[in-house]
Amino acid sequence: MTANASPPLLEALDVSYTYSGLTPTRALEDLSLEVKENEFLAVLGPVGCGKTTLLRIFAGFLRPTKGSVRCAGSSIDGPGWQRGYVLQEQAIFPWMTVRENLEFGLLAKGVAPAARRAVSDQFLGLIGLSEFESAFPKELSTGMSKMVEVARVLATDPALLLLDEPFGALDAQTRARMQDALAGLWERRRKTVLFVTHDVEEALYLADRIVVLSPRPGKVKAHFAVDLPRPRSVETRFSTGFLAVKRKVWEATGPGP
Amino acid sequence: MPSLRVRRGAVALLALAVVYLIAAQVGRGRLPDRIWMGAHYVENVQLLPTWHSLAEEGAFLLESGILLDSVLVSSGRVFIGLLLGSLAGIVLGLLTGWGTRVESLADPWVTLFRFTPALALLPLYVVWFGYGEASKVLLIATNVAVITLLGAHHGVRAVPRVYLDAAASLGASRWLRFRKIVLPASFPSIFNSVRVAAGLAWVTIVVAELIDARMPSLGYLLALSGAYPRVPTMLIGIATVGALVLVFDLLALLLHARATRWMGRAG
Ligand SMILES: Nc1ncnc2c1ncn2[C@@H]1O[C@H](COP(=O)(O)OP(=O)(O)OP(=O)(O)O)[C@@H](O)[C@H]1O
Ligand SMILES: [Mg+2]
Repeated sequence: MTANASPPLLEALDVSYTYSGLTPTRALEDLSLEVKENEFLAVLGPVGCGKTTLLRIFAGFLRPTKGSVRCAGSSIDGPGWQRGYVLQEQAIFPWMTVRENLEFGLLAKGVAPAARRAVSDQFLGLIGLSEFESAFPKELSTGMSKMVEVARVLATDPALLLLDEPFGALDAQTRARMQDALAGLWERRRKTVLFVTHDVEEALYLADRIVVLSPRPGKVKAHFAVDLPRPRSVETRFSTGFLAVKRKVWEATGPGP
Repeated sequence: MPSLRVRRGAVALLALAVVYLIAAQVGRGRLPDRIWMGAHYVENVQLLPTWHSLAEEGAFLLESGILLDSVLVSSGRVFIGLLLGSLAGIVLGLLTGWGTRVESLADPWVTLFRFTPALALLPLYVVWFGYGEASKVLLIATNVAVITLLGAHHGVRAVPRVYLDAAASLGASRWLRFRKIVLPASFPSIFNSVRVAAGLAWVTIVVAELIDARMPSLGYLLALSGAYPRVPTMLIGIATVGALVLVFDLLALLLHARATRWMGRAG
């Protein structure tokens, strides 16, 4: 594989993070992680193990209390569009239409209205929401809103995508559809993706590689390569290869040393 | 649904009027018609004037032009005071809310404002700004500014962190975040404070118009009718102020419905 030769686009080196307060919480401890260019990495971990904390460090909202994080070779200070971040919470802007939401990052970049429109047209088509272009988010379902959030980040063409359990609140069917939509988007315009989830199957279906975190304070517990052919489909989900890796990952995520 | 609200409001008002008229009719001849005013008796006072004397008084106030002139003059003052006060209050509130990162830096100062009895500034304003229009309008403006400052400040502080983070992650500058996130997200809170302030402005005008009291002015009309006392005039004055507050509020609600189509439940 050529992956070993390319330098990591994103790396965390011995990162610890402690939330200060009356009772300080150690969220991460000595966590090291690399994401290669164009790699789709899934981070799996139990509730409260520090997944969001890790993403917020990469996004530039938190500074590690110990250790360092680098993106494309330089240290991260502050948020920026180069590291597109989709929050775990619903963060679609309710006072903007779907199109205005999609164009917000381009507006921030100073892109001219006509060019913004061209890009938002393209993404409206990609996520299948063309008829909702002038709808307000209150008219969208949770899953549709999340897709808009993902597309909103993609529209600025970032080098890296940080996704925090984007499909966490969806039912299994919608979730599968959203996963296919995301996989489709990713296969069409390759990006480096760091995808946080606590769903083993979702991680397997989407990722090239899976990192399993331990319970809080989070550190890397295990790595898995997912060498399943792309594009993946329903067939993939029931293939023997899929189930074999699933078993291994499942065992790694369970309680134990 | 504004139309439903309007209908409900109209029914409530009508019910109130009917209850009053019945009470007045029942009270006629049974209520005392002379009261002790602290230094002397006032004869022939109508504690609950009947619809007849109300109509008579109303007709007089209308025909003489007193009522219309008073409404125009007082509304003008309220409007200018509301405009100036809201502008000042909102700008200051946005500044204190967005400009200071550390909450503890601005909040004690803002809290101090909350407890300023702005109505009690009246004598001070007379000394500072004289007996003319300025002190009246500025008294209203100050009262309005206190309320809208708090509304804007807390509105900005209550903007959900997620929107600001998402915007920053999309590369939005501080100024763009202010324009596209903070302003729309704090609009409901700011708007509500302006609505409350508009009601308060009408309370303030009654006090403010005691400065250099002269007609035409609703505040002075009320003060005069209290001094005589002339209950029918009082009631008409109060009802007029009430009606004007209602009109202002309806206008405000219309504006609100237009500006917040994005919200789950407008209005
Ligand atoms: N702002 C904060 N202040 C103090 N403690 C926090 C804060 N945010 C998170 N924590 C603590 O840090 C730990 C890790 O939180 P984090 O949100 O990173 O977990 P997570 O892995 O994303 O969980 P989930 O799967 O529920 O999203 C938790 O124990 C949490 O209580
Ligand atoms: Mg989380």
